[in-house]
Amino acid sequence: MSTLAPSALDLEALVTDMWASFVGSPELLLPAGPPADDVALWSATVTVTGEWRGMVSVDLAEAAVLGVTRGMLGFGEDEEPDAASCTDAVGELVNVVGGNVKSLMPGPSSLSLPVVSRGAVELPSEMTEASVLHLDWCGAPVRVRVLTAHSS
Amino acid sequence: MQALIIDDSRAMRSILRRIVTGLGWTTAEAGDGQEALDLLEGGLVPDLCLIDWNMPVMDGYTFVQRVRAEQRWRDVTLMMVTTESEHGQIVRALAAGAHEYVIKPFTAEAIVEKLGLLGLLDQEVPA
Repeated sequence: MSTLAPSALDLEALVTDMWASFVGSPELLLPAGPPADDVALWSATVTVTGEWRGMVSVDLAEAAVLGVTRGMLGFGEDEEPDAASCTDAVGELVNVVGGNVKSLMPGPSSLSLPVVSRGAVELPSEMTEASVLHLDWCGAPVRVRVLTAHSS
Repeated sequence: MQALIIDDSRAMRSILRRIVTGLGWTTAEAGDGQEALDLLEGGLVPDLCLIDWNMPVMDGYTFVQRVRAEQRWRDVTLMMVTTESEHGQIVRALAAGAHEYVIKPFTAEAIVEKLGLLGLLDQEVPA
């Protein structure tokens, strides 16, 4: 099983591209350190199975989730997205990031439907973090991780 | 002109809706391929279907196959809009009868350009 993974630079390019296309915010994603332990994050994951096997997770602070949801659903600044809208938007976000990660890896492979959780998710023990990207968007942390299966 | 937007993500349907309504089109929406087929069976005749690949219930590839199997829907233009970007997947979709293929993330300009290539903008571009 391959433990190849895209680099943090690859991740940054595709996340920046996605943000510009879909979130439509003039605020830039900026490099940052890891989120503080006490920051509550939403987590979204997709799994890739096939020639390459791995998992892509996107973790965002609540403020980023609300901003992403407003941007993707075309809400006004004064509109408060509900939880279902947030789940939908964050799920699509990880779906696009995951699909693009999949395209960078050896194929053929298939992409799962996204799983979104309000709160940290327990990642499978057979997966190891292979790439991580820490960003800041309007003061809110955004983390993108690629995990791969242990080599056998 | 009317587009049927087929995607399980409400956010993605919203993004695509804003692009095509900006061209003066009307839209209908479905959350998966089966729901979209039900709309066609019910008499909806869109000029264009914008189709995600990975959806619950019925995926976009199956939807394309089902539409292309019916002579009555032969005039409907099918455009995949998906994160599936493996060459083999693109070839499969086009071989099944999709006319165009757009990979997410996309820009509004990319969608409009594809519509132009498909000849769907001839009477829609504002003067």
